[in-house]
Amino acid sequence: MKKDILFTLPSYFRDDMNIMAYRFGKGEKTCAVVGALRGDEVQQLYVCARLVSFLREVEKEDGVQPGKSVMIVPTVIGASMNEGSRLWEPENMDINRRFPGDVTGSTTERIAGALLDRLKNYRYGVQLTSFYQPGSFVPHVRMMDTGRQNPDLGCEFGLPYVYVRTPRSYDQTTLNYNWQLCGTQAYSLYAGKTREIDEAAADQTLRAIVRFLNSRGVIRSETAPGHPSTIITNADMISVSATSAGLLRRIKFAGAHVRRGEQLAFIINPCDGSVREVLKAPVTGMLFFMQDGPFITEHSPVFQVLAGA
Amino acid sequence: MASIPGATAYPAIPPLDKIGNHRGLSVHAAAPLKGFTPEKERVILLKTLTTVASVALPIEERWSIKRCRYAPDGESVGRVCIATGTHGDEMMGQLIVYLVQQRIAAHPDALRGTVDFYPMLNPLGLDIGERMVPSGTRLDMNRAFPGSPDGTPLEYMCYQVIQDMRGADFVLDLHASARNKSELYEVRVSAKEADRLLPRVRALCPQLIWVYPDKGSFSASLTGALAAEGVDAVILEADERRRLPQEIAAAVVDGIFCKLKEMGIWTGDAIDAPAASADIPTVYTREDVCRVACEFPGVYVPEDRIGTRVEEGQVLGTVIDALEGAARETVKAPCAGLVFSQRSYSSVYPGTLIARIRKERA
Repeated sequence: MKKDILFTLPSYFRDDMNIMAYRFGKGEKTCAVVGALRGDEVQQLYVCARLVSFLREVEKEDGVQPGKSVMIVPTVIGASMNEGSRLWEPENMDINRRFPGDVTGSTTERIAGALLDRLKNYRYGVQLTSFYQPGSFVPHVRMMDTGRQNPDLGCEFGLPYVYVRTPRSYDQTTLNYNWQLCGTQAYSLYAGKTREIDEAAADQTLRAIVRFLNSRGVIRSETAPGHPSTIITNADMISVSATSAGLLRRIKFAGAHVRRGEQLAFIINPCDGSVREVLKAPVTGMLFFMQDGPFITEHSPVFQVLAGA
Repeated sequence: MASIPGATAYPAIPPLDKIGNHRGLSVHAAAPLKGFTPEKERVILLKTLTTVASVALPIEERWSIKRCRYAPDGESVGRVCIATGTHGDEMMGQLIVYLVQQRIAAHPDALRGTVDFYPMLNPLGLDIGERMVPSGTRLDMNRAFPGSPDGTPLEYMCYQVIQDMRGADFVLDLHASARNKSELYEVRVSAKEADRLLPRVRALCPQLIWVYPDKGSFSASLTGALAAEGVDAVILEADERRRLPQEIAAAVVDGIFCKLKEMGIWTGDAIDAPAASADIPTVYTREDVCRVACEFPGVYVPEDRIGTRVEEGQVLGTVIDALEGAARETVKAPCAGLVFSQRSYSSVYPGTLIARIRKERA
C-alpha cells in the first residue's frame, strides 16, 4: 500500500486539509473509489476505511493483479467532517455541485478540480454517495444517463438493480456526471445510511466493490456470488407522495413486495395521534425507496415503487 | 439611525379582509386605495393578497408563499413581478419591496398596470438567517426551479411560483449577493437572452450589467426557469446578505420606478434612464472580468475599493497572519477597471474570491 496526498488546502489557524489517497498495485490506473464528498457522509468514509483495510490484506497475499492498480480516496472534505458540517461552510457550497471544478477558481472549485484531475485517467470509477433526502434504498448501482454510461458493466457489482437516471440541470455539476464525461466508467453506490454507521449495509457495499474488482481482473479474492442485476430507469419508478403532513408511521419497508392498494404507512397527527392519511401502493411492485425520517411535509415523496418487480 | 425615507410621509395602507380559503390557498379581499378627482372620491387601485403556494409542515404550520398585487381598477397595461427571498438571509429585498409599495400607495392614480410582489419565497430561511431552505438537508431554492407538481415539497413550491408568474411582461428577482461578499447594484441577464434583454434593462439604472453564462446552476434558478418559459426575467443583485443599507435600497427603488415608467405601468415621478446602454459598465463575457483570489490562508484586510476604478497593480488588500504578526500576501489588481464585487468576511483560504473587476476594454 502506498499512501499519498492528492491535494493540500492550507489553513490559517487550523491544520491544513489533506486529501489522502491509498494505492494498491502498479501499472494501469484501473479503478478509483471515492468516499465522502460531504461532511456528513460517515458511512461512505467507513466503507472506504474497510476497503483499504481489506485491500491491505489482499496485497500481502499478492492478490493484486500485475499491471493493475486501485486508488481509494476515503474523504475529500475532512475539515467539514471535523466541524460537523455537510457543506463546505466558508463558501456554503456542496462539493458534489462544483464539478468539473477549476484549479484556479474558488476554494471548492479548486478542491473539485484537483480531485477530478487525479481521478480522470482511471478506467473505472466508484463513488459512494448519499441521497439528499433521508431514506433507505434497495441496494443498487446508479449512474447518470450521459450517453457514455455502461449499465451492463454495472451488473458486475452483483447488486439487485442498476439504475440509469436522466440527469436534471443541477446534476451536471456532480462527480458522477463529469467523471463519465472524462471517459471513466463511473458508478455511484448508495451505501445505506449517511450520518451513522450501518454495519450490514457496509458489508454489502464492500462485497459489491470487491466483486467488481475481481470481475474486472484487478484483484484475486474469494467473494460470495452476487445477485443477477436488472437494469432500470426513472420510467420504471412510481412515486407515492404525502398529501398531508405529520409523523410518519411505516408498515412496509424498502425491499418489500407490495400489491396494488396495500397499506404502506400512516401519517398521523403529531399531537393527538389521529390518522391523517393512509399511504397505499399505487401498483404491484417492490418498494425501491422509503423515506425514513420521522416527520413528513406535505408533497414529500415517501416511497418509490418499482412497478412489476 | 436615519429613518426609512418616506416612512412617515405616506398614508397607512388599508388592512385586508379575508374572503376565502381553499386547500390552504387564501385570497383576501381587495382593499381599495382611494384617490380624488375634482368631482368625487373614487376607487382607483385594488390591492389583493394571495397565497400562491403552500405546503403543510409536520407541526401545525404551513410554508406559504404570498403575493401582494397592486392593480388599477380597470384596464391594466402590463404586469411586472418583483420577487425576493429565495435565499432567506438576503434582507435587502424586504426593504426594496416595502419602499416600492409605499410609493405606489402614496400615488395610486399613477399606476396603470399590475405590480405583483412576492416578498419572501423562503420564510423558514428568513427566520434563521439562512440562505438555504432549512430541512433535514439544506437545499438551495434557487437551484430547484422550474420545480415539479409531483416532486418534493421544494420542487412543488418552485413549480407553483413559476405557474403564478407565467404571462408576466417582466420579472425582477432581487438578491443580495452570496455569502461573505458585497456587490454593486447589478442587473444580471441570461447570455441566451442578452440581445433582447440588454436594451430593456437600461431603465433599471444599475451600476453594472452582467451578461450571465447559462451554466447548469443558472438554468435551475428562478430567472433561468422563467427564461426557458419565454418570460423576460432578470436578476437584481445589490450589496450583501443580512444588511439593509437604505441608500442602496433607494437607488434600486428608483431604478424599478424608472423601468415601470418606461413600460407605461407608472406615470408618476421617476428618475431618467441613462441615455444609452453603453453608459452602463457591462460584462459581456468571461474575458471582461478579472476574478481576483488570494493564494494564502489568513485574515484579509481590505482597502475599500468597491464601486471605484482601480489601476493595474493597485493594492486591494492584505492577507495577514496574526499568529506571527506577518503579512502573508498583498493582493493587487491584475487589471485596471471597476471593482464591482468585494470580499466582506475576512477569514480566507487559497482561492477565496477577494474581488471582481470589470476590465476596461482597449
